[in-house]
Amino acid sequence: MKIYINGEAFELPDTSELRCLDIVLAKALPINQQQQSFALALNGDFIGREDYQNTAVSENDSIDVLFPIVGG
Amino acid sequence: MSLNIYGQTLNNRLLIGSALYPSPEVMRQAILASGSQVVTLSLKRQNPLAQSGEKIWRYIQETVEKNHGFLLPNTAGCKSAKEAITLAKMSRELFQTDWIKLEVIGDDYNLQPDPIELLNATEQLLADGFKVLPYCTDDLVICQRLYALGCQVIMPWASPIGTGKGLMNPYNLASIRQRLPEATLILDAGIGKPSDACIAMEMGFDGVLLNSAIALADNPALMAKAFATAVSAGESAYIAGTMPERQTAHPSTPTLDTPFWHQPEHS
Repeated sequence: MKIYINGEAFELPDTSELRCLDIVLAKALPINQQQQSFALALNGDFIGREDYQNTAVSENDSIDVLFPIVGG
Repeated sequence: MSLNIYGQTLNNRLLIGSALYPSPEVMRQAILASGSQVVTLSLKRQNPLAQSGEKIWRYIQETVEKNHGFLLPNTAGCKSAKEAITLAKMSRELFQTDWIKLEVIGDDYNLQPDPIELLNATEQLLADGFKVLPYCTDDLVICQRLYALGCQVIMPWASPIGTGKGLMNPYNLASIRQRLPEATLILDAGIGKPSDACIAMEMGFDGVLLNSAIALADNPALMAKAFATAVSAGESAYIAGTMPERQTAHPSTPTLDTPFWHQPEHS
């Protein structure tokens, strides 16, 4: 299964357990990013942290993982 | 005098950004020197070269807490209402605040806000419980629409972001102040010098938000202090009431009992 995280393509085994957002993140995000605070959008829609476990990821889905940054 | 933002009372009318500083420590010194109680920050895909991540966020948060202040997440970089709404929701979850500095950019050349998308996003975010601080142009009608939607705070630009050109259209800004007397008006973006901030406050604006003018100064902490002083001076001047302009000169010193050589000659 091909998905995109922050614009980069990831190939994941096409198993049913890997279709949950929290498991996809655990497999695809670098460890140092998993340990940081972040917020997430799936195909442009916000997904709350409490919904990671029950949100399915499908072929060609796009996940945006955003982190705090300085701003003006 | 205190500033009220959606029910929160602040003792400082200068709001500042956290970007573009040469280092986190210089940023910290500038925020503390400004006394600002509202500091903006954002969310982005992680870039190892940018000042980003858990560490910088906590650093900003600690600094803001020293001033007994609040974080103000922004939606910089968004070009549609949908993008801005998604980013606002992400910011609310992460920063634990309903406040959002709403930016929806319509043009890449001057980073001018898109008024249509801004109104759409504002309406939806207010309905979702956000406290929206919309960044907009100095267009009176857009500001009126934002206020009518329920924005208690409106933030028209002085000039395009990062230009330092100061108040491009003082007439427009004065019109907005006059026509929206109940709105909290914060001048945002384009401010270059402390005198720009002072002029805005003299016009009756309730606050000033800026970033580059402090962060890009040779001495950001000193410039932050200069802006704090300018904002305070402008506020005092507005409350004191400035004298009316006159077309002709009027002597300040009374002419009665002037020295004999200025008296009319007697025949």
